[in-house]
Amino acid sequence: MRESSAIMELPKKDYWSSLLGDAAVYARYSLVNWFKIILLVIKHGPWDTIRDLRRYPWILVLLQVNRLLWRFIRGRKGRYRKASAMVMADIVAAVIRMMDDVFFKGDRLVIHEDMIPPEILRAMGLVPFMAELLGILMPMIRPHAVEAYIDACENAGIPPDICSLPKSTMGLTLKGHLPPALAIVTSNLPCDGGMSSYALIERELSLPTIRLDIPYRFNNEKAVAYFSRELQRLIAWLEEHTPGRMDWERLREICEERNRMAAHELELWDLVRLRPSPLAGEAVWLSHMWNFNVTPGAREGTHIFRDMVAMGKQNLEEGIASIPNERFRALVWNPPTIHFIDIYNWAEKAYGISLIMDSMTFNRLGPIDTGSNEAMLRGLSQIIMAGPMARHTRGPAENYLNDIFHITKHFNIDMVWVAGHIGCKNTQALNGMLRELCREQGLPLLIINYDLSDPRIVSREGIIEQIDHFMENIMKAKRLK
Amino acid sequence: MNFDAWQAQLQLVLDQPENVFIERATAAGKIPLGYTCSYVPRALLSLDGLVPVRLRAPGVAGTEIADIYLSNVICSYTRSLLEYALDGRYGFLGGWVFAAGCDHIRRLLDNLAYLVKPAFVHMLDVPHRQGQAALDWYVEELAVLCRKLNATFGVDTGNAALSKAIARQNRFNQKLQAIAERRKEKQPPLSGVEFQRIMIAALCGGQEEMLDDLEKMAAALKERKIRKPYRARLLLVGGNIDDIAFIQVLESCGGMVVADRFCTGSIPGMALMDEEGDPLQAIARHTLSRIACPRMMEELDVRLQAILQLKAEYTADGVIIENLKFCDIWGIESALLVQGLRDAGVPVLRLERDYRLSGEGQLRTRVQAFLESMGK
Repeated sequence: MRESSAIMELPKKDYWSSLLGDAAVYARYSLVNWFKIILLVIKHGPWDTIRDLRRYPWILVLLQVNRLLWRFIRGRKGRYRKASAMVMADIVAAVIRMMDDVFFKGDRLVIHEDMIPPEILRAMGLVPFMAELLGILMPMIRPHAVEAYIDACENAGIPPDICSLPKSTMGLTLKGHLPPALAIVTSNLPCDGGMSSYALIERELSLPTIRLDIPYRFNNEKAVAYFSRELQRLIAWLEEHTPGRMDWERLREICEERNRMAAHELELWDLVRLRPSPLAGEAVWLSHMWNFNVTPGAREGTHIFRDMVAMGKQNLEEGIASIPNERFRALVWNPPTIHFIDIYNWAEKAYGISLIMDSMTFNRLGPIDTGSNEAMLRGLSQIIMAGPMARHTRGPAENYLNDIFHITKHFNIDMVWVAGHIGCKNTQALNGMLRELCREQGLPLLIINYDLSDPRIVSREGIIEQIDHFMENIMKAKRLK
Repeated sequence: MNFDAWQAQLQLVLDQPENVFIERATAAGKIPLGYTCSYVPRALLSLDGLVPVRLRAPGVAGTEIADIYLSNVICSYTRSLLEYALDGRYGFLGGWVFAAGCDHIRRLLDNLAYLVKPAFVHMLDVPHRQGQAALDWYVEELAVLCRKLNATFGVDTGNAALSKAIARQNRFNQKLQAIAERRKEKQPPLSGVEFQRIMIAALCGGQEEMLDDLEKMAAALKERKIRKPYRARLLLVGGNIDDIAFIQVLESCGGMVVADRFCTGSIPGMALMDEEGDPLQAIARHTLSRIACPRMMEELDVRLQAILQLKAEYTADGVIIENLKFCDIWGIESALLVQGLRDAGVPVLRLERDYRLSGEGQLRTRVQAFLESMGK
């Protein structure tokens, strides 16, 4: 076990000053969040807001977003706490923009699956609405929020063993809680369950639907050319079925902004490689998940990463670690436990574990070549095909295993935590191999048995119990708190 | 030889993964290649010097070791194959050819490569949709496989050899069609179990050897006097069924499976391939357009219409949709098909099952109740 020998600590503060610090950051950011929400209500009009709250009950869940803010910042300190709050505020602002789009630009709304490049939709003047986003966001804010949708889906005859994320999305569709849209864009990613779920969604919504085909082996010129042609087919189809028109200059701006954000992210990764890490947790994973997948090419994302890099550098110069007692560094594999989303914060306090890197964040992509229209489509093709859910959960096993062992070395990782979502058959089928390979390399491995979005399968306490057993028996570490 | 004697012989073939057909083919110097999915074109593995073997795990008792690697949420067909592979039961194979048909089979290849390390293993990257780009992609994939087969086994994969393999498979399908058509009769001379026995024997290495026998079987069938009584004519739809025991249960309750639409059945895979033009194009077109499997993501309505058409063509009273538990694509598809068929007024029963026959009593009760619900 590579427990940190040199532990840097923040200047000693007592419990009350820490709590006061948390409260001050919470007050500042939650007030900003509420201010944005109230502005949206005023803009939308109170009666229309009430009508839409009835039509889309999930808005009520999203309104409780400040709960999430509290869970992310509680007990953290200094710039790390501020970075966590900034990421959350960025997401709140983006969700409000999304709501604004739903309310005011419904005539341009296109429902898309989570592995379709939203850059193209935005460049065409369309409003992307990622259907899976609600199934991801809601359990983060309120852990039991999607159970009703999962139940609705299973009651419609969908087998319970299907991944709970597509089940949540299908449930939202069956209950009529998705906003009206012009069209659906989907693909064969990220898994059989996700792909097949769109047969139901298409049937329920009766919308024109296009499905993109992504090859299994993507890491070659033939696959890039094939999927680039699929993206060209998408553009032509959208121009035929929606008022959207491709603005290549706009696409170039989006791709260039994305490149700038990615450059900052690389700097951030260089910082988190250091032991102890000056930033970790949400500053690394949530910022990536949101800004690269939901709102790529938005200037706000670039600013967030730029600011976080600056904070990380300042921490480094001042010898301040993200957590004052970084005993262990962990890699989180698979999508994080979304109904126990403060697992990062919990692990920091309970065991001094910094969750440094994760499978959803790490990638080996270069910048998008914006030299020509074709080059941009090729770049976007590579991003989708090499996306974590394509590369790890669907692609050949070597993608999955090689990345794990590369990351553990590159980021100086002590242990791997696999979020073993019971509905992800693709990754469940690799656990046996991974277990043996980790054993060979002396890398401690924890496979957390749970369900991605349904805490009735394994609760927060059930997850904690598994971690406790692992830390006690394998890592021989006592709980700090 | 009468039809029952043919059937008794074929039953012996079904009991072991390495059957008499494969033994004879191997003795004649042919190389058996295992495959698991209909999107691996059988014609390509039937080139001179090769023999295609659709992989089964007959009589598998448990999957304890495979579960350690694949987990218990992977479909039991996949786990059974890995269990048999780990047990050395496929030692007779010269190689494995997979299609990236579903998540489960893709992971079978990963685990097989890690645990067993077969000398020859290949994955065909099959598109999930049709269209010219998908066809071109798939033709290239087949060409890559041809080059590998040629380089590894020295088989001739030239156009003439491919055309010959296509013609051979077409001839087999034509002859089989003569038997399959008899199921349309009001009193079919053969049961669903008997027909499926022929199908599986053919898929498991017997196609070449059975080619001449099919005509004799068809003739023997004409002589057959026995007409099995039944309560209802059934169309069986779903994923992989290579164990006739499941159909036996359906028929023991009074059902008569007169038509099939599953990947180890005869419809629509029995459709003939184009013998003119580029053979790889013909194989690719045939494979992609057989539209039997919901892994092709755009064709739910086409599949539903095909079922309705088949029901009418074979005058089936009802439809049974079966799927292996944990199969995502069939799990969702069957829920949608059930709804679609009910909307069309078709009696339908959905059965989720394990690869090996289990819960027989419960299965019987459900089938009996279904037949009664149709007033049969």
